[in-house]
Amino acid sequence: MKHLFKSKFFKQLFPILILLILVKLLWFAVEIIWLSPTGIGHDDEVSGKSLYYRVKLTPNEAPAPRKKQVVKIAGSIKDITLLAIYNSADTTVITVEYKKKTKVLSRGDVINGFMLEGAGSNFATFSKDAKTYRIDLIKSKKSSSSRSSIKSTSRPSSSPSRKPAKAEGEVVDAGDHKIVDRSLLDHYAKNIDDIYKNIGITEVKKNGKLKGFSISFVRRNSPFAKLGIKRGDVIKSINGQEINSYNAAFEMYKNIENIENLTMVIQRGKEEMELEYEIN
Amino acid sequence: MQMVKNIFITIIVFWFALLVFMPKQELYFTLEKELLKQDIEINEQNIEEGLFSLNLINSEIYVKGIKIATVEKINIFTLIFTTNINMKSLILDDSLKSFAPKMTDVANISYSLFSPFIVNLEAEGNFGLLEGNVNLNERKLRIDFSETTKELDSIRSNLKKDEKGLYYETSF
Repeated sequence: MKHLFKSKFFKQLFPILILLILVKLLWFAVEIIWLSPTGIGHDDEVSGKSLYYRVKLTPNEAPAPRKKQVVKIAGSIKDITLLAIYNSADTTVITVEYKKKTKVLSRGDVINGFMLEGAGSNFATFSKDAKTYRIDLIKSKKSSSSRSSIKSTSRPSSSPSRKPAKAEGEVVDAGDHKIVDRSLLDHYAKNIDDIYKNIGITEVKKNGKLKGFSISFVRRNSPFAKLGIKRGDVIKSINGQEINSYNAAFEMYKNIENIENLTMVIQRGKEEMELEYEIN
Repeated sequence: MQMVKNIFITIIVFWFALLVFMPKQELYFTLEKELLKQDIEINEQNIEEGLFSLNLINSEIYVKGIKIATVEKINIFTLIFTTNINMKSLILDDSLKSFAPKMTDVANISYSLFSPFIVNLEAEGNFGLLEGNVNLNERKLRIDFSETTKELDSIRSNLKKDEKGLYYETSF
C-alpha cells in the first residue's frame, strides 16, 4: 500500500505544530491574565468656562471726548508721588499718590491743579500755567518713603515712549493692584526653569484627582514675592478661568503674551482673595 | 549533530511563533495604561497590526492633559531582545518651540536587552540631525546635534557646546 504522506516528514512537522499551538496558548493565557483588551481614548478636557469675561469699557481706538476740566490753581507738585505708569501708543495711564490716596489718571486729568500731559518710561509730565513739571517714578515700594524727584522745565512734554525690552523688570505696587513689567513676564515665559527657581507649585489632589495648584515656596525678594503670593496659597482661578488642570494652566501660559490685565483668585487659609495685576 | 539541529530549529520556531502570535495590540493597550499612570496619553486614529510590528496612524501625544505633539505614523517593531520605535512627521505643539525643534521628519528610538540601561535616540528634521541616548542607570539624557540649521536658533539658548558641536544634556 502506498503512503499518502511521508511518515518521516509528518513526524518532524508534528512537534513544530505542537510548539506553535503551545506558544499561541501561552500568549492567550498572558492576554487573558495580564493584558488590557481595550485602549484608552483621550477625553478632550472640557476646560471650565470663564466665570466672567473682561470687557474693556474704554477702548483705546476711540477715546470718549473728554470734558475740559477747570484747573484749580492750588497746591504743589511735590504733593504728588508717581507710583506707576502704563504707556501704549495711544493711551497713557499713571497711578499717583496724593494726600495718602492712590489715584489713577489718564492724559488730560487734573490733580492738585496739575494736568497730566504725558509720560515716559519712568516719568510723567504735568502742566500748569504754561509750565511743564516732571515727576520721576519711584524705584520700588521700599523707597516710597523718599520723595519723587521733581524737575520743572519749560520745554514741551515729550511724547510717550515704550519701555525698552529687557530680561528683568519690576513689579510695582500701585495700591489696589500691582503693575508687572511686560519684559519680566516675557523673560519667565521664555525661561520656564527660572520660574521654578523662584517659586514652587504643587498639585492639590482630592481622592487622587487633580483639583488645583498650591504654592509650596516663594523665594524672598524674587519678583514672585512682590506679586503678593505666599506659601500655602491655593490658586483658584486666573482671569475667571478655573485652574484645576494642567491643561487650564498651560492654556493660560500659552496666552500670557496677549494678556494685559490679570486677576488671580487665591485661597489663603479660609479666606478667598483677589489679586489684581496690570501688565505694562 | 541531529540533536543540535533539532534544538536550533525548536528555538527558531519558538522565537518566530512568539513574535507572530504576540498580541501586539493588547500589549500596546497595556503600555497605554502604564503610560497613563505617568500622565502620558497616546490618542491614535487607527492601529494597524502587522506580522512583526504595530503601526499607530495619526497619533496625538498628551502629557498631563496637554497636547504636546502629533505624529503621522508610529511604527513599533520588536524582536523581543531589541525594540525600535520609528516616528514619521512628528510635529510639536507651537508653545513648545522654545524647548524643542518643532518639526521632525523621522525619529527613531531603539532599545536592546544587550545594553539594558541605554535607550538610543536618532532624529532628522529641518533643524538638522540629532543623536543621543538616555542612560537609565545614571538618569541622564544627552543629545548631540549635527548639520544644524537656523531652525535650531529658538532652542539654542538651552544647548551647550563642546568639541563635537552643540548638545543638550539634562538629568532626571
